[in-house]
Amino acid sequence: MSKLYRSREGEATAVDTKTQLTTLGSEAAPGPLLVPAGAKKIVGIIMAACESFAAATGFSAFIRLEGPGLQGGPESLATLAGGVPVATGGNGSVVAQKIDIDLPVTPSNEILIFAEMAGTDVGAVSFGVTLIFEL
Amino acid sequence: MSKTLTVEGDLGTVDSRAVITTQGSVTAPSLVTPAGARRIDKVIVAVGAEGLADGSGVFFLRLGGNATKNGEQVIMIGAGGRIAIQAGSDAAPSIGVPFILENADIEVSPSDTISIAAEMAGSDLGTGHVVVTLVFA
Repeated sequence: MSKLYRSREGEATAVDTKTQLTTLGSEAAPGPLLVPAGAKKIVGIIMAACESFAAATGFSAFIRLEGPGLQGGPESLATLAGGVPVATGGNGSVVAQKIDIDLPVTPSNEILIFAEMAGTDVGAVSFGVTLIFEL
Repeated sequence: MSKTLTVEGDLGTVDSRAVITTQGSVTAPSLVTPAGARRIDKVIVAVGAEGLADGSGVFFLRLGGNATKNGEQVIMIGAGGRIAIQAGSDAAPSIGVPFILENADIEVSPSDTISIAAEMAGSDLGTGHVVVTLVFA
């Protein structure tokens, strides 16, 4: 089976606020993330995230998948949690995590990726999400 | 039989596609997929940034070029963040352990050129560095 990798990234800058991930680094407007032609399901999701440590507090973070490309409706996945005791010395380096999953999809339809910071506002959380489609 | 290709390079600017072409003491390793290779079976990648700027960001990989049969594949590999840039002997290091993507199943053409690029997105965390190994099967 061949796999296709589609990604988006962005920042959640306010707590308890649904934020769509729409960019891809040097591509400021990569357009809608469409289910590739021939794809039957999402078999994996790669998530990478880190906070800015700009406030002395703790938080958690998760993503939401929505849109007509998902046959089973919206999904949500835990992504990250953390905190820092002072806002003058945080430092983080986080390796991406891959989870195996089985989400049926509809080709040529859009999937929207959202991210949220929860708990208390840590400043900002950067998110990167890769959807792995299987043909 | 597996065959590997490793390249490394700097990520000097945020939101900028950096083509990764060097291999330490080998400045121009071959970027041609092995004869007989049909797919990338594994991706092993480590990334970090020096932490000389505040903020948070993510890092991702772009695998493309003539050898990738289904077009460019974009894969998230890590993230980083920091506040109040630290100096002196107590400065916190940034250590990026490898992200290993097993069963990648990215179709390639044998004996064709592959392009490996990476990016830092979000905040500029100072210069990043990435090392990538593709395992062909």
